[in-house]
Amino acid sequence: MSQRVLIVDDALFMRNLLRDIFSDAGWEIAGEAADGNEALQKFQQLQPDLVTMDIVMPQRSGIDALQDILTVSPAAVVIMCSALGQESMVMEAIQHGARDFIVKPFQQEQVLEVVQRVLG
Amino acid sequence: MDMAKYKVMFLTEAREHLQKMSAQLVAIEADPTNRNGIDALLREAHSIKGMAASMGYQQHAELSHHLEDRLDLFRQKGKISPTAIDYLLAGTDLLELLLEDIAAGREERSIEDFCQAKVEPQTLQTPRVASPPALETKLQIRLKLHEKVASPAARLLVILRQLSSFGKILQSEPSQEQILRAGPVRHLELLINTNLSAHEIKACLENYSEVARVEVEEPQAQQAKSVATGGATVRVGTDLLDRFISLTGELITNRYMLQSAAGDRDWDALQEGLGRLARLVKDLHHQVLQVRMMPIDSVTGRLPRLVRDLARKSGKEIHFELEGGGIELDRAILEELSDPLVHMIRNAIDHGIESEGTITLRAWRQRDQVMLQVADNGRGMNPAQLRRRALEKGLISPAQAESMRDYEALQLVCLPGFSTASQVTDTSGRGVGMDVVKAAVEKLGGVLHIDAALGRGTRFTLKLPLSVAIIKVLLVEVDKKQVALPITRVLQTIEVERRQIQISGKQRVFSHNEELLPLVSLRKILGLPIPQAAAFVSVVLTEVLGRKVGLVVDGFAGQKEVFVQKMPSPLEGLRGLGGGTILGDGSIVFILDIQGLIERRR
Repeated sequence: MSQRVLIVDDALFMRNLLRDIFSDAGWEIAGEAADGNEALQKFQQLQPDLVTMDIVMPQRSGIDALQDILTVSPAAVVIMCSALGQESMVMEAIQHGARDFIVKPFQQEQVLEVVQRVLG
Repeated sequence: MDMAKYKVMFLTEAREHLQKMSAQLVAIEADPTNRNGIDALLREAHSIKGMAASMGYQQHAELSHHLEDRLDLFRQKGKISPTAIDYLLAGTDLLELLLEDIAAGREERSIEDFCQAKVEPQTLQTPRVASPPALETKLQIRLKLHEKVASPAARLLVILRQLSSFGKILQSEPSQEQILRAGPVRHLELLINTNLSAHEIKACLENYSEVARVEVEEPQAQQAKSVATGGATVRVGTDLLDRFISLTGELITNRYMLQSAAGDRDWDALQEGLGRLARLVKDLHHQVLQVRMMPIDSVTGRLPRLVRDLARKSGKEIHFELEGGGIELDRAILEELSDPLVHMIRNAIDHGIESEGTITLRAWRQRDQVMLQVADNGRGMNPAQLRRRALEKGLISPAQAESMRDYEALQLVCLPGFSTASQVTDTSGRGVGMDVVKAAVEKLGGVLHIDAALGRGTRFTLKLPLSVAIIKVLLVEVDKKQVALPITRVLQTIEVERRQIQISGKQRVFSHNEELLPLVSLRKILGLPIPQAAAFVSVVLTEVLGRKVGLVVDGFAGQKEVFVQKMPSPLEGLRGLGGGTILGDGSIVFILDIQGLIERRR
């Protein structure tokens, strides 16, 4: 059975990119969310194996959403999506329990390496 | 009370008790209902507990208490199952590791995991092997990220957090706080207490493509053999101490006697006093050597356990017999023998014995030498095969292979490079580590003999001097200098008439007891000028690789007992040089290792 991912990003372009990367690697896309509030809802509803979480999003930020998710499911595996120059936010997320992070622009290899590491 | 001064004593005694325990456990395995055996085990565990508790070594005391409890249950039950023996042996191993911790002055490792893997007597019927306890070790990790990694500080933070899931991070440079304050950090160095191996951690860190370089190792301070430091101790019987005191008393009396004889200019009394002094010194020397003597048991104690474990692993049924464990040898020799013995026994199990057999370790005195023999009744060795193999490997020339007698062919397994562990198959013989064994034995001034009969087993025989520190040497002259040869290596000294010497090919040979023996010149070996031969040549008959050889010297200068001193660096690695000694007249004499010298020339 293939593993299921929930992709959280406010930019459709980024979601599509990650969707392709994960599908290519044989993953099932459990769902997508465009902001932090939706992320928590979808997480509870879909119970994915992995969440990719953008950091900067409108309404509720990725770091807030990360904390929400870990509150309801402490074992959840969340990796952060960051851009250059967001290092301090990435570190904050890691301190709050994010397992790892990927840096934009995404490269398939990099993404899969991180995914394999956090799930393997 | 300051307990520190009892530490060495505690360590020595606890090790002795543990050795007895493990030997007893192996013995009980063959006779599981032996009540006396179980009682003896209980007593050992109890003694260890008492000592550790009074020294305040908590983990050690707790674990021995735990083992004592188990043993008590087995005593009530009247027998110990094989599973339980595995468990108890693992327990004694852990106790030894704790001793190492204590000896090194570090914190005792945790015994929690071990004690939780309890083997209850009720469950003993089911074949459940107690897993060996996971032990925590301290590892040092050093890593560096690639130059172009995005968000290096965040990357290090991820790595640091992952590592902290492997164990306790004792120290980290930069620390987590420093990483959080960011800055361009790319290096991470930390100490972790973990039950994962260095290899496992390294493999995990290599999963990060951002990591450019990673090293995981045990911290240096721990690698140094801290156990060996701190001076070894020996236990000496009080009777021996009494004899020292009475000898000292006699020496004092002797001094007064000499003083008064000298004062009176009484040469006869002086002569008598000196004669007496010589006897006293000789006696004292003998007694001091006694202190250094230890029974062979003290190194063979672990062997039954080793044989048992190896036999189990290889699925063979092996009986192990020990004879002459009470024979005493100088402790310096015994310490060096421990590894060679293990090598030989391993070889016997791996290559000698096929599925079932006996290994015998025998020790006996032969004049002033001790013989130690490891024999198996396995498949033996095939000289023809050994010759062929050595030839293939280019270790000997075709001519050598042809002229080589079977006995000599057997000794080929001692050549370095004859066989390596990875090449061991049914036909590869038994060269694993035999070069190491041979080197160790010869370093002690001993000789290694191998004999084997196809299908009837193999015997490794070690001929050892009783003591290394003081040996008897033959002083010979070469180019107006004296050098010494250990007497154990000298079979005979002979004066050979020049006309008895013949030339055979390039080799000078001489006839001795109807045997033609090769002659080698010590001058030639040492690169000294060779003068015209006199009418008589002085020859030292010795043995190299089991073959008699005549060593030509300029003359004999007598026998002496000398105190051997190790060569200081950089001379210590020089092949053929066994050490040095200072003679009564203050001159320095080198002790030659004939075999090493001749082999170096080959």
